[in-house]
Amino acid sequence: MTKGKKVLITGITGQDGSYLAEFLLKKGYQVYGLTRRTSTPNYERIKDIVDKITLISGDLLDQHSLSHAIREIQPDEVYNLAAQSFVPTSWSQPVLTGEFTALGVTRTLEALRIAKPDAKFYQASSSEMFGKVRKTPQNETTPFYPRSPYGVAKVYGHWITVNYRESYNMFAVSGILFNHESPRRGLEFVTRKISHAVARIKLGKQKKLKLGNLESKRDWGYAPDYVEAMWLMLQQDKPEDFVVGTGKTYSVKDCAKIAFEAADLNWQDYVETDKQFIRPAEVDVLRADFSKAKQKLNWQPKTSFEKMMKIMVEADLAKEKKL
Amino acid sequence: MKKTAFITGITGQDGSYLAELLLKKKYQVVGLISRKYNIGFHNIESFKNQLILKEGDLLDKKSLEKIFKTHQPSEVYNLGGLTFVPTSWEKPTLTFDINTLGVSRLLEIIKTHHPKTKFYQATSAKIFGQPQTSPQTETTPLNPVDPYSVSKAAAHYLIQGYRDKYNLFAVSGILYNHESERRGPEFVTRKITLQAAKIKLGLAKQLVLGNLKAQQDWGYAPDYVEAMWLMLQQSKPDDYLIATGKLHSVADVCQIAFSHLKLNYQKFVKIDKKFYRSIEAQAPVGNASKAKKILGWQPKVNFKQMIIKMVENDLKLLKQGKKL
Repeated sequence: MTKGKKVLITGITGQDGSYLAEFLLKKGYQVYGLTRRTSTPNYERIKDIVDKITLISGDLLDQHSLSHAIREIQPDEVYNLAAQSFVPTSWSQPVLTGEFTALGVTRTLEALRIAKPDAKFYQASSSEMFGKVRKTPQNETTPFYPRSPYGVAKVYGHWITVNYRESYNMFAVSGILFNHESPRRGLEFVTRKISHAVARIKLGKQKKLKLGNLESKRDWGYAPDYVEAMWLMLQQDKPEDFVVGTGKTYSVKDCAKIAFEAADLNWQDYVETDKQFIRPAEVDVLRADFSKAKQKLNWQPKTSFEKMMKIMVEADLAKEKKL
Repeated sequence: MKKTAFITGITGQDGSYLAELLLKKKYQVVGLISRKYNIGFHNIESFKNQLILKEGDLLDKKSLEKIFKTHQPSEVYNLGGLTFVPTSWEKPTLTFDINTLGVSRLLEIIKTHHPKTKFYQATSAKIFGQPQTSPQTETTPLNPVDPYSVSKAAAHYLIQGYRDKYNLFAVSGILYNHESERRGPEFVTRKITLQAAKIKLGLAKQLVLGNLKAQQDWGYAPDYVEAMWLMLQQSKPDDYLIATGKLHSVADVCQIAFSHLKLNYQKFVKIDKKFYRSIEAQAPVGNASKAKKILGWQPKVNFKQMIIKMVENDLKLLKQGKKL
């Protein structure tokens, strides 16, 4: 029975938060979202559901606001999806990244431990935690080797979640999600940067697309598929951590090729490489072994990479035409 | 020209021994004194006038920047932090803010204004948690099991990230437990030697402990601070594990301490489950062969000698009428 259950989502205005909120509304949950007060609120991704959810003002940087939200809502499930999630920014703002992405987890767990210890907690962990990978593919037992302040903060968040589960018997789980994209992905991420540029080039608004390392490979999945895995993790009898990915890798070049083809363009006519976008201490090949999720959650990706890139290009074309 | 070293946590066990070592090596030694979390000056009392002590805090980047600017240290030893595991469960966010973000703050200052400065980070063997392989080396996967260890593991990774990305001379020394006459009385070795000495002098009747079978790889702190210094004298920055490679139990500590005072520990020791940690870590034991090979380092004082030094020192302090 999920009807009438209460759920609190941090990061509800982000890609994953907005898809998860839609998914949980369909399941009959009462959805609460934690939002930070900003001078220009960004509700773009939740504009269609904003009337059906309750937004609560609060901040991962502020323990009091979290404790207050959890005491008031008494949620059955909490999904911590908020983070400073962009790797290059974590190098320019490492302390803030730690405050937000790492300590935000501890603050949320502390608030739950005191005000709602039987709530189920989902922590959004990232494949960036594997960083300089020790073996390929990666599963739940692969050692971490994070290569950026973002990766380090996520490793901290993962371990503190495991610690609270083991020491306080809380239902706290960490979902180690590999990259997942969608039309709601931020423009600073490469897949969306590409689909956005393809749409603009197609419409004559842009001439070239500058990219970093074209050979860089990732395991890219479709975000709406992934939020279902988050929910499934909290419906299990026992709290456990899961790796979620596709098990397949594609290069930035593949991504560009598919995206340009979706608009009947040839990528080689438009793509230029720029050293400025090449990350130092670049991570090695990340590829998920999601057999545990397949076996225990009965989860697997539904949307192929090709299909996802087409969806993204089409969405950007539709948006750009309206502008 | 004299080299300048900046030590955070200078009033602690390791900081005080390191300061003495560096003074002997003719360094100018600058120490960070936190107004808020000060443990007192007892460890550095006898040589305090040879040090430059500066107020500041790992939580406050500006205060650190000021010290860097004034003293231009060529070596920085980050030994400050919240180090007691049970406290880290009570204050998990503060633990991270000091132990991990404190490192970010220092590395940011070094990266931006002092890229030649060498940086030593005090990492704990607790980052291995309940290790799956024994003994551990520099490449053993981490598995920290409490907020203190998680904060130290995150800091350890930050060091590697900054070293690789910005070519900084930043190293992480993974040190196993190390004890001494200056160990805080909340740590089990010192708790035992101090209580044994009190019992000997009729100042106490019993000693309450947790799990007597709990084992640790315990070394002598003055040996370990030498390893820290050696790591910063290498031509290349790298991480090193520092340990004795030998395990001893809490019962062994009791046995050595009490029998040195001609007492039978079994008559005085009471067991209280409250002192069992919520997750008692498996005994980690370290393989320091890389440090031996590259740094030429190895422990000089063995376990028994160390416990005896500690008991004798506690006996002496108590006889002088020190309140401990």
